Amino acid sequence: MSTPAISIQNLTKVYPIPFKREKVTAVQDLSLTVEAGQVYGLLGPNGSGKSTTMKIVLGLVTPTSGRTEIFGRDSNTVESREDVGFLPENPYFYKYLTGAETLDFYGKLCGLSRAKIRDRSKELLKLVGLENAADRRLGGYSKGMLQRIGLAQAMIQEPRLLVLDEPTAGVDPAGSREIRDLILDFKQRGITVLLCSHLLEQVQEICDRVGILDHGVLIREGVLGDLISIENQTEIILENAPPELLAQIREMIGKSSGRLVAEHRPQKTLERYFLDVTGPKQS
Amino acid sequence: MTAAAPIATKHKIFSPARVTAIASNTLLELVRLKVFYFLLLFALLIIGSSFFTSKFTFQEQFQVLKDVSLGAMSIFTWLLGVLATAMLLPKDIEDRTLYTILAKPVPRFEYLLGKFLGVLLLLFVAISLMTGVFLVILYARQQDALANAARLVPAQALQEQLADIRAATFNKNLLPGIVIIYLKSALCAALTLLLSTFASSSIFTIIMSVIVYLIGHIQAIAREAYLASQTTTALTKAFLAIVALLIPDLNSLTLVDDIVVGNAISTVLFVKTASLGLTYIGIYFLVGYFVFSAKEL
Ligand SMILES: Nc1ncnc2c1ncn2[C@@H]1O[C@H](COP(=O)(O)OP(=O)(O)O)[C@@H](O)[C@H]1O
Ligand SMILES: [Mg+2]
Repeated sequence: MSTPAISIQNLTKVYPIPFKREKVTAVQDLSLTVEAGQVYGLLGPNGSGKSTTMKIVLGLVTPTSGRTEIFGRDSNTVESREDVGFLPENPYFYKYLTGAETLDFYGKLCGLSRAKIRDRSKELLKLVGLENAADRRLGGYSKGMLQRIGLAQAMIQEPRLLVLDEPTAGVDPAGSREIRDLILDFKQRGITVLLCSHLLEQVQEICDRVGILDHGVLIREGVLGDLISIENQTEIILENAPPELLAQIREMIGKSSGRLVAEHRPQKTLERYFLDVTGPKQS
Repeated sequence: MTAAAPIATKHKIFSPARVTAIASNTLLELVRLKVFYFLLLFALLIIGSSFFTSKFTFQEQFQVLKDVSLGAMSIFTWLLGVLATAMLLPKDIEDRTLYTILAKPVPRFEYLLGKFLGVLLLLFVAISLMTGVFLVILYARQQDALANAARLVPAQALQEQLADIRAATFNKNLLPGIVIIYLKSALCAALTLLLSTFASSSIFTIIMSVIVYLIGHIQAIAREAYLASQTTTALTKAFLAIVALLIPDLNSLTLVDDIVVGNAISTVLFVKTASLGLTYIGIYFLVGYFVFSAKEL
């Protein structure tokens, strides 16, 4: 088996509270593995330790005990950050830089050549739909645009792993869907994604595997489909079915040992409806 | 674009290119904050000071001009160094921009060095511009004085008078004096950077930095007074020694007074003063780095 994208072993983080005796245990004996190519959703209520876990994986916070690795390289080393892009929760980038200058800056930090930065920057601005805003300062960007430039920044050196802390927080439904589509796009290109989000519906749409944290403890973990499927039920959705067919089906069910639990018209999600009525997405 | 091998070149332990990127970004930030408007104030101040000295002899006039200009340079660069440095780290931490930078393969040492070099660049640009304004005005005033002398002074005394005017305006002490002003502001910036690595806000950092600045100026006087008195205990002496070690005597870190009265500045004095400044800059920066590298972000 190939090296996992992220490996977390027996991770514990205890924060001291300044001027107090007590301590906060943000993460407790957490072990989990994110295989390369997966989209992994880390879920949990506020304060359950999601951001802390991500920061430890990125070497921004030192663990109290345990170890974490990115593609087999210890998070304590600066090199481990070569292959990962990070978008923190509610980030603000330098307001006085334009979109293009921002990507240029982060590209230089990754040691990319000038030509490489130019190519990558163009490609990414197009991908995240900010070509027209490339020469505008970030001070004038909307929240959704900031998150998208944040994604582009995270992807500048073509890392194989993306770590996203609430990428859709504070973004309107259309913007949030754009970000979701971008994540799916990265997934298609084989990039591993670790993300945490409160939008469970979106998590359900894009994640292969999820872990649920509560008070720093991983209480559930597994393949998304397995966790939420109802074992003994089957759903059939028909289109343009004539009433006679429906009658026949009901009759057949009545003769079998199965039981019809519910029959109704599927509804589109409120999100879908909202997006349909608010017209085509722009910018 | 595929998710194959990473395209970054092999990681370097120390990369001047990364430091340069951070330093020039820091300078750009400060420039786009329009901090250079203070230069207008500087120009107004030294031009204004000329109007009040027209009754003085030309020696006195040039003395006042130099005193005001060099004094203003010291204060402006100090203020700029302290204020600009104090906001750098807290702002990056608060806005989580620091996370995005350190999540790239950037060692904390390079980040801090880049920020500090950015401030040093800013101070360099600022003091160069102020020096430019100062020299232009000094030159204009000198030409004015020379022209007046040519009209008013009798022929037999004229050559001597012209030489006196030249001697009272430009002399070779000006440059070393300005270099020391620069070093002093850099030292105060390094101190502020150190304070900001463990302070929680910009305001706290600025206040602490100002207090240390004042201690740096009065400690020598205080020490003399204490040591002269018979009752000073060993404990007090030890305390004064520690303060003296932590904070340099900032009064001795200037050559402005000598320059204004026209004293010659020996190379030895200059080198001694400059090394004192450089040593403290190095120490403050390194201590700041050790605090920052252990900091929980
Ligand atoms: N720097 C810190 N100092 C002290 N406590 C912290 C710090 N960062 C996070 N915590 C605490 O750790 C716990 C987990 O926080 P966090 O990882 O941000 O949770 P989440 O991202 O799941 O909302 C919370 O109780 C929070 O108060
Ligand atoms: Mg969080």
